[in-house]
Amino acid sequence: MSTNPILKISKVSRTFGAIQALKEANFEINEGEIMGLVGENGAGKSTLVKIISGFDPGFKGSYQINGKEVKFETPSQAEESGIAIAQQELSLIPNMSVAENIFLTGAKVKKFATLNTLAKMARPYLDEVGLTEVDPTTRINLLSVGEQHLVEVARLISREAKILILDEPTAALGEAESRRILEMVERLAANGKSIIYVSHRLDEIFKITKRITILRDGVSQGIQETKDIDVNKLVEIMLGRELANMFPSKADHISDDPKLEVKELWPDGVLEPVSFSAFKGEILGLSGQLGSGAGEVLASIAGALQSRSGSLTLNGETFLPKSPSHAIKKKIAYCSSDRKKDGLFLGRPIFENLTSPALGAISKYGFNFGSSEDNYSKNLAKEFLIDVKRMHDESGLLSGGNQQKVALGKWLSIKPDVLLVNEPTRGVDVGAKSEIYQRMRELAARGITIIFASTDIQEITYLPDRVITFYRGMMIDEHRLEKIKTPLILKEITDPFNETNL
Amino acid sequence: MSAIIENNQLPFSAKFLQFYKDRTLLAILLSLFAVMFIYGIFFTENYLTITNFKAIIRDAALYGIMAIGLTFVTLSGNFFLLSLKETASICGVTFAMGMATGFGSPDLAGNFLVSLLAALAVGVVSGVIQGYFVGMGGNPIVVTLGGAGILYGIGAWWSDNLVINFTRPHDAEWLGTGSFLGLPSITWSFILIAIAAEIVLRHTNFGRKVYLVGANKAAGKATGHENFSMAIIVFTICSVCCAFVAVAFVAQMDSAQSNYFSAEFGSSGDMTILVIATVMVGGNSIMGGYGSTLRTSLGAIFIAMVDNMMVLQGFNSGPRIVGVGLMIVFSIIVFGLFAKGSRAQE
Repeated sequence: MSTNPILKISKVSRTFGAIQALKEANFEINEGEIMGLVGENGAGKSTLVKIISGFDPGFKGSYQINGKEVKFETPSQAEESGIAIAQQELSLIPNMSVAENIFLTGAKVKKFATLNTLAKMARPYLDEVGLTEVDPTTRINLLSVGEQHLVEVARLISREAKILILDEPTAALGEAESRRILEMVERLAANGKSIIYVSHRLDEIFKITKRITILRDGVSQGIQETKDIDVNKLVEIMLGRELANMFPSKADHISDDPKLEVKELWPDGVLEPVSFSAFKGEILGLSGQLGSGAGEVLASIAGALQSRSGSLTLNGETFLPKSPSHAIKKKIAYCSSDRKKDGLFLGRPIFENLTSPALGAISKYGFNFGSSEDNYSKNLAKEFLIDVKRMHDESGLLSGGNQQKVALGKWLSIKPDVLLVNEPTRGVDVGAKSEIYQRMRELAARGITIIFASTDIQEITYLPDRVITFYRGMMIDEHRLEKIKTPLILKEITDPFNETNL
Repeated sequence: MSAIIENNQLPFSAKFLQFYKDRTLLAILLSLFAVMFIYGIFFTENYLTITNFKAIIRDAALYGIMAIGLTFVTLSGNFFLLSLKETASICGVTFAMGMATGFGSPDLAGNFLVSLLAALAVGVVSGVIQGYFVGMGGNPIVVTLGGAGILYGIGAWWSDNLVINFTRPHDAEWLGTGSFLGLPSITWSFILIAIAAEIVLRHTNFGRKVYLVGANKAAGKATGHENFSMAIIVFTICSVCCAFVAVAFVAQMDSAQSNYFSAEFGSSGDMTILVIATVMVGGNSIMGGYGSTLRTSLGAIFIAMVDNMMVLQGFNSGPRIVGVGLMIVFSIIVFGLFAKGSRAQE
């Protein structure tokens, strides 16, 4: 088994400013092997993938292909050496045919080629990825997302890629389509291609890989033989236990007094209506992967996403928010997952961001001459440990962590009863993460009901008092306090129905 | 003296430089003012006279008022109202109709208040309708270009493309040609509207919302400030400003025609281009969220100075319109370059 690896990376380090994304990480893959690459968000997976595929030449360490040291300056150089990557966001052109997309770069194609010629050339590649029934002259946007992924891979194979990197190929796919991808991966490996399979879905990792490389905080945790390891062990290696310290302790007990009752809420992206309650002063976590519906439920409580049916009961009133401003009037605050898109006014000063949801509170008869706004925004800033001296700076100049604090802190201005947070710490450094968790706990202790959705398994395990799990648009289960266990939750958000027979 | 020095620890020159550093855009505009002014003093006859400066501000007032209205649209991220001159045109026709015929009832003929209110009402209606469609998600360029065609067409149809005259003396003379304390009424209007607009933008919740929605529509929606109502309000403000300018201009000319604000008519060229140039030269961000009506007012005076200089140098309308066009291009390039350095883009 231990032949010479076709690709070997040893002691690779990469720093971005003060952040060390990779610390002497090692990686290798043999010919015809499927190597799993796992790690939580921010563990350095994407950095490693970028280095392998030539997108990121600025690393230190050794990178060998077939035992020869290489140095790729651009992705196309990596491609010439047979390394190709299928990104999560596909790079297909929707209005062009399958065949045209496969030969998009024009290499190996005659100067004048009709669609028919291209279609004939594309056939064998499509067969190889399992798209035997797809006509190569079909337009790309008529295929399903899963089929588009397969076309993307066919394109990579057509350029004689020997090592394929698949970055979360099934993240946006349903069960049947995911199965096609997995079948393709196995077929390709049988044909002698090496495949680096990056995924959050541990069931898939266990199903198809022979070996697994685990990254944690930029350090590779050794290569594990898949058959020697189980989910619990894998998660333990992925997370490391000591990081649990950055989370504040949980509430002593959960009050039984429901603050917000959600009845039969049914937004797009969720398969069946969802009902649950949130109690006063608790932190409730909605756990699920991308596309599981957890984020959609949160957005529809906030009125940011329309719900087909259902109602909320808060403070004795029953209503269904039609818009964010409606929800804000009812004291429901919602911090979205993408602060640059709809969380912050990046070009405006910090103090304007902080007071933006509560202009009525800082003005008299609609007029605002600054003094009360000054105090108001400074108090908010102090509460969230934002530098008061920088209040007049544009919020776009802040670091990710500080931006997140502003995006969250601005909602305190409306004195919310319910605070909804989607991905509270996406793109936030560890220090700010800890501060944000601390603040969320303090706010809950003050009586605010906090509901957050997260794909970060650590956060979901250690921050909330209760967890509700979601899987592909369905609500699966609910856990309380000490019954919140990482392996159980992981299982419920990746494979609740034992479809993979782990 | 010592107290002053204590309070202002920096020497004046350093403070001056710091002021310039903080406000690159304003600084460029002021410097250009200065250059133009000095050039005018030494190389242009009749430049440094009170009469000439009154003329400059008077010219600036007409498109300055419209540009202040347009600034609200641009700051709120709704790009431009492209039916500026057509809105002015139909409002001017409405006002003249009121003054000349009283809209069919001879009792009302020549009644200034009724004519004024009718003209403003037309402005409000056209602003609300165009704002509604933009607020619903329509592209501002397409909506207001369509609006332009419809408004101009209705005005021309209604007036049969004829010049509508009403004879002096009439009740609107004070606005058209009258003056107060040595300044024309239209200049006073410009000054008052500029001050009011600046107060609204700086010190009211509505003004803050204009900036916030302009800076990020999605974040505005998430914090409860929808662009729907914003678009209706800013387009209405802009259209009413157009209506007011039209009334003042028609009152001055004692007549109206549907093509009064087009390139082939006035000495100042095409009104829409002039007004957009004013907003751009003032250094307001086309994408919204950054700028002020003060900048627009300065932009109006700047353009009026350039135009005035070209008139005194003996250029006719062709080259002067080219000059305005060049100023738009120039301002986009210069402010685009400097905006990159001074503002976080992403």
